Amino acid sequence: MRVPLSWLREFVDIELTSEELAERLTLLGMEVKHVERWGADWEQVVIGELLTVERHPRADRLSLTTVTLGDGGEPLSIVCGATNIAPGQRIPVALPGAVLPGNRRIERAEKMGVVSNGMLCSGEELRLTADADGILILPADSPLGVPLADLFGDVVLDVDVKPNRGDALSILGLAREVAAATRRPVRQPEIAVEEGSGPPTEARLAVDVRDPDLCTRFVGRWVSGVTVGPSPDHVQMRLLAAGQRPVSNVVDASNYVMLELGKPIHTFDAAAVHAGADGRATVVVRRATDGERLETLDHVERVLAPDMLLIADPVGVLGLAGVMGGATSEVSQATTDVVIESAVFDPVSIRRTAQRLSLRSEASSRFEKGQEARLARLGADRTAQLVRAWAGGEIAPGRLDTAPSEPGRSRVAFRPARINRLLGTSLGSDEQRELLSRVGIETEAAADVPVVVALQPEVLSVAPEADGAITALVPTWRRDIAIEADVAEEIARVRGYELVPSVTPDTEMPDYRPSPLGVRELVRDTLAGAGLTEVVTTALVSPRHVETFVLRREVPSVGGEPEPGGDPVGVTNPLSRDHSLLRRHLVGSLLDVVGTNLRHGTEDVAVFEIGKGYGRTGDVPREWWRLGFALVGAAEPRAWNRPARRYDLDDAKGILDLLAHRLGLGRPVYEAETAEPLFHPGRTARATITGRLGAIVGELHPDVVETWDLRTSQRVLVAELSLEGLAAGRLAPEHAPVVGRFPAVERDLAIVVPERTPAASVEALLVAHGGALLRDVRLFDIYRGVPLATDEKNLAYRLRFGAPDRTLTEPEIDAAVAAVLGALPAVGGRLRT
Amino acid sequence: MDLAQLTRNLEALRARAVGAAAAAPDTAALDALEVGVLGKKGDLTAILRGIGALPAEDRPKVGAIANEVRTAVEAALHEARSGLGGAELAARLATEALDVTTPGRPIRRGSLHPIIETAREIAEVFAQFGFVVYEGPEIEDDRTNFQMLNIPPDHPARDLWDTLYLDVEGLLLRTHTSPGQIRVMHEERPPIRALLPGRCFRYEAVDASHASEFFQVEGLMVDEGTSMADLKGLLDQFAHAMFGAHRPTRFRPGYYPFTEPSVAFDILCVICDGEKCPACSRTGWMTILGAGMVHPVVLRYGGIDPERYQGFAFGMGVERIANLRHQVADLRLYMEDDLRFLGAFR
Repeated sequence: MRVPLSWLREFVDIELTSEELAERLTLLGMEVKHVERWGADWEQVVIGELLTVERHPRADRLSLTTVTLGDGGEPLSIVCGATNIAPGQRIPVALPGAVLPGNRRIERAEKMGVVSNGMLCSGEELRLTADADGILILPADSPLGVPLADLFGDVVLDVDVKPNRGDALSILGLAREVAAATRRPVRQPEIAVEEGSGPPTEARLAVDVRDPDLCTRFVGRWVSGVTVGPSPDHVQMRLLAAGQRPVSNVVDASNYVMLELGKPIHTFDAAAVHAGADGRATVVVRRATDGERLETLDHVERVLAPDMLLIADPVGVLGLAGVMGGATSEVSQATTDVVIESAVFDPVSIRRTAQRLSLRSEASSRFEKGQEARLARLGADRTAQLVRAWAGGEIAPGRLDTAPSEPGRSRVAFRPARINRLLGTSLGSDEQRELLSRVGIETEAAADVPVVVALQPEVLSVAPEADGAITALVPTWRRDIAIEADVAEEIARVRGYELVPSVTPDTEMPDYRPSPLGVRELVRDTLAGAGLTEVVTTALVSPRHVETFVLRREVPSVGGEPEPGGDPVGVTNPLSRDHSLLRRHLVGSLLDVVGTNLRHGTEDVAVFEIGKGYGRTGDVPREWWRLGFALVGAAEPRAWNRPARRYDLDDAKGILDLLAHRLGLGRPVYEAETAEPLFHPGRTARATITGRLGAIVGELHPDVVETWDLRTSQRVLVAELSLEGLAAGRLAPEHAPVVGRFPAVERDLAIVVPERTPAASVEALLVAHGGALLRDVRLFDIYRGVPLATDEKNLAYRLRFGAPDRTLTEPEIDAAVAAVLGALPAVGGRLRT
Repeated sequence: MDLAQLTRNLEALRARAVGAAAAAPDTAALDALEVGVLGKKGDLTAILRGIGALPAEDRPKVGAIANEVRTAVEAALHEARSGLGGAELAARLATEALDVTTPGRPIRRGSLHPIIETAREIAEVFAQFGFVVYEGPEIEDDRTNFQMLNIPPDHPARDLWDTLYLDVEGLLLRTHTSPGQIRVMHEERPPIRALLPGRCFRYEAVDASHASEFFQVEGLMVDEGTSMADLKGLLDQFAHAMFGAHRPTRFRPGYYPFTEPSVAFDILCVICDGEKCPACSRTGWMTILGAGMVHPVVLRYGGIDPERYQGFAFGMGVERIANLRHQVADLRLYMEDDLRFLGAFR
């Protein structure tokens, strides 16, 4: 809400600087976002008087003027295109060097052969009024030579009024807050309606509220014989400073009242309201019928729905109640009689209508926060008063009012001791009462109503007798104060939060609970240590993403986590198609990171993310945690003493092995994965540690590198893992191994197997038949070539044997090796001799 | 050969050997000398072979002298060896010298994302005050995300959270971590000290200061006497941990439907120290989080009696904290994942 200080001063005396005032309001809960100098961009604009106005010798449409600034200097000659000027008028003069709103620079310039020493300004050029056609004619007593800003400059506070304080969406409401902050009285606006002697309002106007649940009060007034035209300059200036575009004197009057009192008012052309059976112009307040149409003031045709509240007449629709008027009943130059509508509508209905039509207005944003009934009467009177002052005419006697009785202050009981317990303060009850009085809340020492603790899910209240409860009498405009905690907030904010003490909590601690982040943190630290960079990508991705990154066989979840898969989950109101579906895999997001960085010229990209996949079965959604990583470029970067070594599948598996070890999960078992379209059919593995780790790891299929536009000829390694504890687990302590004091014995075995035999199956065989003394099996070489057959390979393993309690004897080891060798034919293997 | 002759021979041997040791050009010459003089077939042994011709009473005298000679030669050899060995080692070390100013062999450097890392640091600070971490789902229902937090349907405060709705009736992407308050209250009884970090979503066009996906950390403490003074004390500690021990802070009124009273928590501008600069909108202060006393309605939806228990909640944007700590001006950098940016973090 934009608040011109000059307007605020009408209702409260202000002795603070604007910065001090801004801070005081902020500390009271009315946050001032900006303090704007209104007129700061009128530098070098001063007040002058026209001495002569002559026709330009070479251009009919231009005038040649001379202007004095009253400083005794040579008159300035200035060329001007406006036609409303005459000698003796005082006008704003932009001197050479001036910069006007919109960063428009004024320089000395030649116009059709005549030098112009500046510019005479229109109200629009200065953003002071809406008039762009004529020069702004200033009052005749305006002092010559004085900067315009000294006369018409202002300070505008931009106040962020929170949604619960609709009452403060007005100059008067904010004046009440200033008054509370500075302990000054509030001056109420002088609302005085001089009614004429013609037929009374109720003889001219009837209202038929057919849906009283949505319109709790309707106050109407009638002004006849108005002359519609521009508002006085000072009104236009004030509206513009407050951010409201001037329209016409009648419309400006309603906008002025909305800003001043916070009461949205609608005015319409009385001639457009059809008469009812009794001959009176009749306003009907009703819900729309399905498919009904209305052209609103912004000249958009709207299709209405049955729950929208309308202002209508017996024939058709006049406007959308509380949101926007209709074009057909708009006040225009031809209007002579004006109907003023000042009503209270159901906040929810107004909000829904505005949302459904994407038509939020200044009016709807006030209605949806709730309106006090009293304002319907005050707003109608105030608008009538201003219409008559600015547009002339005669106010019909009396007002039409569907609910003249106005509710009084509400009674909210509170316990001073409870307030102190909540705030951590020790304020006496008299002090609490005094603080409340500053915001207009009166109090009675005894409570005659229960203390309401909460209104939802159902009312919870306690009897008032105990604890010396006090009754707060809440002003009608403070609809936000309904329970004891609301009173606590008033006391705290009026007193100032700086006076709430600061103590370290010393109450009982909750039971120990392990952090669900423990495993994730270990994974992050491990991978960062292994040279990978952590990334965070969006969970919302494009449909193409979801369609492209599909696994025929999902990586199974571990540790009882939800399994991946199901149908994709979509957003019904996405910001863009690129972010319209929740992803099911991390791989695609990681490849986007790879692609972006390669395009930026970063050659080596090793990234990981811990994130979720999302899916649903029917209406039941689920989320599952995954770790993904992608590698491209150099695993070991080139250095002056070493060539680069590129990432390959073994690096990716090495990362898996490292993680499994660091998490204490054991060693992954790898098996070939040949049938996932995203992956290279010959360079992809599934990794498993039953119940603890699942993964797919491999080279991206060259087709995907192509279709996903990665623009690299290098191999791209990707992996996606499920890990025990990634969701919320903690790691069990490792069991320490018994490190024998007796030396281990190593035996190397060169085993020839067919090329198609996976190393993992040979290793599994070695482990299975190696006996109790076998400590470790390690593949240390693979050989192909002479003298082996072309479809053979030689796997060289180093076996370590040992026992915790003795040095092994040769026969023991020989027996173990013999057992292994005896099993080799099971994998088509033989010992190479 | 008589005693005198033998003694002279021994003395001559000593003189020659000691001299040769001192003059030896390298340790190999010393090795040869040692073998030649003291070895089993060496000069000393050769001389002592003549001992048998001496009278018995002279033999011990010769033995004593021979021992002296042996000791003297050994000492000379040792001395010469240590001299020569030092020089040889020095010569070898000299040939092994490297240009030690070349860069080290590069080891791939990884790094942790500043947002996740900042969230971790936030959790660490609150862990010191007994706050334990909980997590809730990112796909939430309207009831938990809004209604149980005292935000009924069609409430104007809903404008504070532009929401992304899902194609399943009643489900949405959580707009804040606050629904975690309800979930924790359903899971635990007071005393509660909970911290809820996580990803949140809003219908928000992305620019330098807005993101449609971002991270928050929520805090909740509920007990019989937990007051706003406790909240203030805790947040002061937090601000000091994250922004320095002397960073002034302030509470000012705020508005959230799920807290009453509500506050905004400010720190003195980290750019201008209160001198009022563009970074703090010329107020001298920067808001780092919102907080307040848990609304009685929220406690009731959490199954906690608001007459017996009370507490506070707070919520902060992790990006906001990270921006201030790392002097990042544009939120978009965090999810663009440009390694030239991310690589600068630990």
